[in-house]
Amino acid sequence: MKKLFIAAICVIALASCQTQTLYSWYDSEDATYKYTKRGTDELLTKAMAQYEKVINKQKGVRKVVPPGVNAEYGFLLYKAGKKDEGIALLRAEIAAYPESEKFISRIIKQLEK
Amino acid sequence: MKKFIIMGVVSLLLTSCAQSISRSVQYPKMYEERPLTIVVMPPINQTNHVEAKDFFYTTLYAPICEKGYYVYSPMMTMEMFQSESAYDAEQFIEGNLSQFRNVLGADAAMFTIIKSWKRNNIGGKLTVGVEYILRSTKTGETLYQREGLIKVDKSVSGGGGGWIGALVDLAATAVNTAATDNVVAGRACTVFVLSDMPEGKYSPLYDKDQKLPAGKNNVKATVKK
Repeated sequence: MKKLFIAAICVIALASCQTQTLYSWYDSEDATYKYTKRGTDELLTKAMAQYEKVINKQKGVRKVVPPGVNAEYGFLLYKAGKKDEGIALLRAEIAAYPESEKFISRIIKQLEK
Repeated sequence: MKKFIIMGVVSLLLTSCAQSISRSVQYPKMYEERPLTIVVMPPINQTNHVEAKDFFYTTLYAPICEKGYYVYSPMMTMEMFQSESAYDAEQFIEGNLSQFRNVLGADAAMFTIIKSWKRNNIGGKLTVGVEYILRSTKTGETLYQREGLIKVDKSVSGGGGGWIGALVDLAATAVNTAATDNVVAGRACTVFVLSDMPEGKYSPLYDKDQKLPAGKNNVKATVKK
């Protein structure tokens, strides 16, 4: 009885550990923060690697890229000179989240001016 | 003895049920307006810790996305706020928010007021006090409001024992908390306080959480990280 009780507690503890998130974020938050704070090329490379990971390796409940990530990465790529790739990602944001259209189209227009 | 334990558990369950208010009662306007898009406003910093505003701004985004909302990238809105000289949210907290609806398409704006940000390097603890206010850009009304005082404990255990071991522990804790643990602490506070916020469209619990319990308006807790 005691063993069963302990086993049950272990199962509950394990199950509660596996709280599933909607998205996988990896270290993107920290990397973006460091880059926006200091703006060096090295930090930009690190931040971009995190974006790639967030875009390509989604293990969360939704299995889709989180809001804003395609747009942020596209915005940074555009500023780094990869204009076509950048615009394509900004458009991908609108395709995935139509509610972002007003803001993102505005950004695209500003960039293409 | 067994009966006693069962009775104890049952009475605990009952008392916790009796005290809780459901989310739909606590935050009825969230269910009326059903906001989808949220713009995170630059935090209002009432502490002497000047950098807290920047630390905290970036940490708001992911936890609100995790609640199922569309959140505009703070990195991109920050550029907009700065170029429009709107980096101080004080001017908007009681003002008209319709411009955020017109320019961004935002349904609601999340304001935060940082009330305390204290570090205790020896204990490896950071205490973060923040008030969260979500206002509708349509009606200007407050949809959600909650305040938390969260102690984040990141102390590292290990070392070799004895007084040298204790010194190693102390140094490791100091290093560990020095860099971006501000980001970790900010995020932990947001996750904890917003845990009772009604879920957004992209959450599996969307429109199914009305009966879940809402927390107290003012919450104090210690979070281990």
